[in-house]
Formats: sequence, C-alpha cells, structure tokens
Amino acid sequence: MTTPTLEQFKHDAAEKTADLHHRAVIQKAIATYDAAVARGRLRFADWQNARSHAAAIKWETINHLDRYLEQFERNVLANGGHVFWAETAEDARVHVLQLARQHGVEKVVKSKSMTTEEIHLNDALEVAGIHTVETDLGEYICQIRGEPPYHIVTPVMHLTKADIARTFQQKLGAPLTDSAEELTMIARARLRQEFLTADMGITGANFAIADTGMVAITENEGNARLSFSLPRVHVAIVGIEKLIPSFEDLALFWPLLSASGTGQAITAYSSLIGGPRQERETDGPREFHVILLDNGRTRLLADAEQRDALHCIRCGACLNACPIYKNVGGHAYGTTYQGPIGSVITPHLRDAEEWSHLPYASSLCGACTDVCPVRIDLHHHLLHNRRNAVQNKFDDPIQRLLFRIWLATMQSPMAYAVASRLGNLALRLGIAQRLLKPWTATREFPTPPKQSFKDYWRQHGRRA
Amino acid sequence: MVTVLRRLNVDVYYPKEQTCCGQPAFNTGYWDEARTLATRYCEIFAEADAIVSPSGSCTAMVRNFYPELLGKANQTTAHTYEFAEFLVKKLGVTDVGAKFSARVTYHDACHALRELRLKDEPRQLLRNVKGVELIEMDQAETCCGFGGTFSVKFPMISYAMDEVKVTSIQKTGAQYVVSTDSSCLMQIDGYLRRQNLPIKTISLAEVLAAT
Amino acid sequence: MDVARDNILNRVRSALRVPAHQPLPPTSAPIFPPVTNPEARFREEFAALKGELIENSEALAGFIKGFAGIATDGSELVGNVIGEANASVRECDLGVTSCDCLVAQTGSVIVSTISAGGRALSVLPPTHLVIARREQIVPDLATAMALLRKHYNKHWPSALSVITGPSRTADIEKILVMGAHGPKRLVLYFAD
Repeated sequence: MTTPTLEQFKHDAAEKTADLHHRAVIQKAIATYDAAVARGRLRFADWQNARSHAAAIKWETINHLDRYLEQFERNVLANGGHVFWAETAEDARVHVLQLARQHGVEKVVKSKSMTTEEIHLNDALEVAGIHTVETDLGEYICQIRGEPPYHIVTPVMHLTKADIARTFQQKLGAPLTDSAEELTMIARARLRQEFLTADMGITGANFAIADTGMVAITENEGNARLSFSLPRVHVAIVGIEKLIPSFEDLALFWPLLSASGTGQAITAYSSLIGGPRQERETDGPREFHVILLDNGRTRLLADAEQRDALHCIRCGACLNACPIYKNVGGHAYGTTYQGPIGSVITPHLRDAEEWSHLPYASSLCGACTDVCPVRIDLHHHLLHNRRNAVQNKFDDPIQRLLFRIWLATMQSPMAYAVASRLGNLALRLGIAQRLLKPWTATREFPTPPKQSFKDYWRQHGRRA
Repeated sequence: MVTVLRRLNVDVYYPKEQTCCGQPAFNTGYWDEARTLATRYCEIFAEADAIVSPSGSCTAMVRNFYPELLGKANQTTAHTYEFAEFLVKKLGVTDVGAKFSARVTYHDACHALRELRLKDEPRQLLRNVKGVELIEMDQAETCCGFGGTFSVKFPMISYAMDEVKVTSIQKTGAQYVVSTDSSCLMQIDGYLRRQNLPIKTISLAEVLAAT
Repeated sequence: MDVARDNILNRVRSALRVPAHQPLPPTSAPIFPPVTNPEARFREEFAALKGELIENSEALAGFIKGFAGIATDGSELVGNVIGEANASVRECDLGVTSCDCLVAQTGSVIVSTISAGGRALSVLPPTHLVIARREQIVPDLATAMALLRKHYNKHWPSALSVITGPSRTADIEKILVMGAHGPKRLVLYFAD
C-alpha cells in the first residue's frame, strides 16, 4: 500500500543512494567516528558489561516510570523550579509561547534538542514574532540553510567545509575561507552577541535525575551552558523517557553516552541544572521551567514488547552503524528521529499507517542492535513493527494474496517442486528478469543450477 | 555439503517433503503464514539428531525465531545448525581435507554473524583448505544489501549497499568471494556479472567440497 | 487539578500493568578499570584534552600579565593567589575560579555556582583559569559524585558542570576546533 510519505522516501532514497559525493562524505565521517568509538570503549573495563548495567538501570526506570516522574517533579518543585506536563506537541508549544509572553521575551537562544525539533518549536516561536537562534554550531548552520538536522548528534554530517563556507558567505556576508577554525570563529562571534542579549534560553535534556530533581545536559561547545546561564528564563523540554533514578547513575551514563556518541571519555561540558538562581548565587535565570513531554511516548510504553525502545539515550550509534542510513542519509527519513531507532519508534509516535514503510527500509542486518549502549533489541523490533503493519492491514492486498499463494505452494512438496521447475524455466527464458525489474534494473539473475538438489539426492542419496 | 559430511562419516538423510523455513513470510510481517511452515518443519525433522543447513539465515530463523513464533523452543529448533557451525562446534573439525587454489575473501552474512555469532568458524575452515589464501576485506561485516524482499522493495538502497560491498571486495584483489549464505552470494554475483567484473562468488560448502 | 498530569500518569500506570521482558543482569565486576595513580592520570588526561597546567608561581605571574581584564569568583583561595578582580564577567578576557574537585579518570574539573562564582564565570570568558589544590584530585567520576552529594548535603547549587578540556566542536567535517562558544583555553594552577 503506497502513501505519499513512502513515495517521498523512495524518491529521496533514490537520489541520495546515487550521489557518490554524498556517499564519500558520510563514509569519511563515520570512519572517523568508528575509530574514535573503538578507543572510547577501551576505557571501560568491560564494554559489554557496561551495556548490561545501563540496560538494567533504564529497565528499572521505564518500568516504574510513574514513580520516578513523581519523584522528579517533587524535587524540581522543592528547588524552586516549575513543571509543566505536556500531553502533545501542541500543548508544549502553547506553554512555551505563554511563558514567552509572560516574560516579554523577544529573543530566544536554543541549544541542540531533538525534542524541540520533534515538536516543531522554532516555527511556532518565529510565527509569534520571537527571534529564535540555534546556538549549536551544526544546528546554527542548519538554521541558516533552512534545513532540518541530518543526524541526531552530528547535524551537518553531510556538508563539507566548502559547503559551510559558501553558506556563511551567502547568508552572513562572511568572507570565503578554507579554514574550519575561521568558520567556527565567525559563528562564535555572531552567537556571542545573541547569548548576551537573549531573554530566554531553551534547552532539551539528555537525562532527568529523579532523586535530585535536576536535568543533565551534555555538550562540547558550551552553547547550552551559555543558554541556561545568561538569559532571565530557562526552559528545558524533556521527554518523559529521559528519567534515570539517581545522580550517581551519571558516573555510568555520561561516559556511556560519550563513548557511543562521539568516542570521547566524556564531553567537554556535562552540566546539571537543579533550579533557578538561588539567594546565595550571583547569576543565573530567575525562573526555571521543565516541560515533561508525552507526545506518543505512553503509546510506546504500552507496547510491552517494544517498551525498551524508550531506553534510548539518543547517542546516534545505531545511525552510524546502519548501512541504510549511511547510503540514504538523515533527510530521506523525512522525520525527526532517523536511522534504526527512528524506524522503530516513529510508527508509535506518529501515524502508524503513514510510517509503516520505515521498518521495511532495512535489510535486518542487526548491526544496530550490536552497537546500542543500552541493549535495545532494535532489529527485532523492526520485525515486530512489520508484523504489526500486516496485522493492522496496512499491507498491499496484492502482497497479502501473493503470500497466501506462496504458503499454499510451500505446504505441498509437489507444488513446491513444480514451482521450482517453472521458476528455473522462467529464468532460462528471461521471463523472470522481465517481471522482477526492481532487481534486474541493476543486477543479473543467477544462472539456474543444472540439477536441483532433489534430483541430486535421487541419484546419490541412498547409500549403504 | 553432503559430500563433505560423508567424507567425515556422518550419516546424512534428506527428507524430501521439506520446502521452506518460512523466513520470507516472517520477515515481511506474515507471521501466521510463517507459523504454519514452522510447525511443518518441526514435524518433518522431528526424528533427526541434528539438522544441518547451508544457510545462516534459515538456521537463524529456526533456532532464534521459531521459539518466538511457536511460543517455545523444542528439540528440533535447538538442534538446527548452520554447516560451518556444525563442522567446527559439533564435530570439532576445522580441516575437512579440501583443496582449492585461489585468493579468496570472506563475506560475513548478517544472520550467520549476528544471529548465530559465527565469525571465526568459517575462517578456520577456509584457512585449512590447501591452496586458499584468505585476505580480509575492510567491509567484511557490512551487509551486502540483500535482506530478502528489501532487495526489490528498496532496490536503489540495496544496489548502493551491493556497490559498497563489491568495492571493498575489489580492494582485496581476491579472485573469489566466499560466504555461508547463497542469498548474499546471489546479490553480490548479480552486481559482479552486470558490471562484468572478473571476481567469482562461491559458497563455503563448495570450497570445502573441492578436492 | 492538573488534567494533563493525571492523564499522563494514568496512561503510564495503565501501560505498566503489562510487564516487559527484563534484560540479563550485569556482573558485579567494576565498570571502569581502577585508577592507580590519580595525580599522574589527571595530568595525562588534562594535557591530552589541551588543558594547560601552570607549574609554579613565577609562571603564574607571567601568565596573568597577559590579561587586561580579570574577573574572579571572589573566593579566599583565588583572592590569595591572584588578587582582586578588575573586570566584570561580561567584559573580562580571563575568568578565575576555584572548583569542587578534579577527576583523574577523565581529566575533568567540576565546578558549581558555589565553587566557581556563579554560572557564567567559568564559561563566558575566552580563557578560564582554575585555582585548585592537589588534594582535590579524586580517582574517578563515581568518587566525585559521592563527594558532591556529601558536600552539598541536599542544599544543591542550582547548577553544576563537569568541565573536560576547553570548549570544542567537530561539527565541520569532524575537524577539531577549540573555543566554539565556551573558553578556548582551560588553564589550571595548583596552589599547594
């Protein structure tokens, strides 16, 4: 059954897979990543055991999520912060706009947050006349190009230095340069002014700590720290699945996230925010607001078979391991969460029928499951999603019929033998090639064997 | 496969009623259809001490997925093995007395590698074949892009993955690419022959049978 | 009466009535290899991250001379070593702070609003100088977290940061560039 979303995906995939420049850029980026991750994992006494620890902690949290959410809220409130529960993306957007109006906000600085991408926050802010600036270098580049991020961790993985230099020249009037350092300094200078004059800082959170009521933010640039330090108001938008039980758990999760995300021991800045500026403190926002976002996560929670997909710490390792991602790139997925995790959760977070094709856009190689630091059974969940699609009758009725016929053939050794001979004949006559154009457009078909195994067995089978 | 097993004095039987493990249906989401074939498989092979298959993906289907499909594992599903796995792990044999003079590279079929955890066993067997020079490719573990119906549903992605794999094979200078799974070999061979490349595909079983 | 809150929590509770498959438990073996010589390990990690260590008071005096505007956290330690501030956080070219502790495992400096004079002082200035004592070095993150919890004893500061090297980015073709938004230079001086 085809949908416009599927047709768009196929169109974008066809374009990107034929783009050899794109393939080379992505391969180079991921080769660098792979080497760094190999080194990063060696810092653990036993990487596999570290994964098991993390899986156990996330299982405990997600399977007692109500308790941990309530504890988190209690602690945020006790520290002088506010908690808003958003059932939908719309609820979250409306609340942010309300806060902005309340505080006379004209300018917002944002740090990198896939959750804010998910709820399309920037568009809502711009429509309301609030100047919104992405401050993570990669996200800033995406914003001035008018593109969504290419990857959940590395937003401009698909661009070369030259692409970025041209963008800065066209959009910022900056002099053309060949130096990554100079390009970064151009962005630094521009964004510094934005930090110093912004009214509100909006961040996401990598983790939400239940027992201390803090949000944890992981970064390398320092833009998140500036976003929650300089403006008058700090808003953190946090998916309800980000909870972990305890402050001490970060001693595992910070290095785990870094090792899988970039190969680092830990990122340059791993921060914790527990509330607004206190009496005894010299600076910081006067108000701290946490928005806890559902937006379909409770749907995924209710699917006990795939519940562990909520353990995801958004490290991006599965994207980097996926041969499909490496060939089609992030934009082709057409949705916020890309790669294997995206293909698992999107049918739950968004319309199941419209997004039923993503789990099928996989060869089920299993590389994703192997690299996931919290042991999510990713490729098996793709199979579960496929089964769900069939059970919900999202499949093509012709395909359904074909599999019924196929089953009938497979249940009868006689029919199977006849079908095999007909198949070989169709191959020899070139009929199969004509019918299976998707294959034969680019590949040859095998030459049928001179003798089927059944015939071989008849000849050589019985022996004393 | 039969040749090699008999060389090792294994009593081999081939139940003629067998057809398909059901994986194509299972992978496409048709679990009811797959379940029917799973039940059928268990009936057909009920008497065997061991069931050996020249396919890592069929073996993974039976051993790893039948329990989920049928609600539980049983003797038949537990005693189904891939060929290289059976030779090395069950018979304890790494040298089957084969002779095959060629420079070869080995492609890790995904199910064999990640579902059955077979990485060293096929290589051990290959290294002990007289005349074989085994050269590792840098993308040995990367999927070839077959993925069953994926190869015709998303042929452009399948083709790009095929191209990445063949590029890696070419860099080794190998004359043959060897693998446990014939579906992978068909995918790779399809590209090689369309591009008129001199590299040949051959299954591990065929190499081990050669003398 | 928060309807959204009730709805979400009710959906969570209702979902969790069906149990999910539990992963295989980890072993009790330590997650990280033990840090045998914390000071040596700290120096090694800190240098690898392009952190700069000032070895003695003469070198420190020379270093300070290079900065016109200096902002400090107003602490006794920093006052004794550096003296008074002569610029604000926003205008300075050097920010000087103390810290909570130093982590050998990762070469990190942990600061808070209490130990480092607020939030901005350790991230806004182009260069950040930390005045620390060798006794502040702890072997690993786990020890550091335990120390912080004990020290703050429920009166947590509103913000804490684990700083590991100067600010950096690799967003452009994975080429490492220092000083993306935070300090381009992270400098450390042991006062003991």
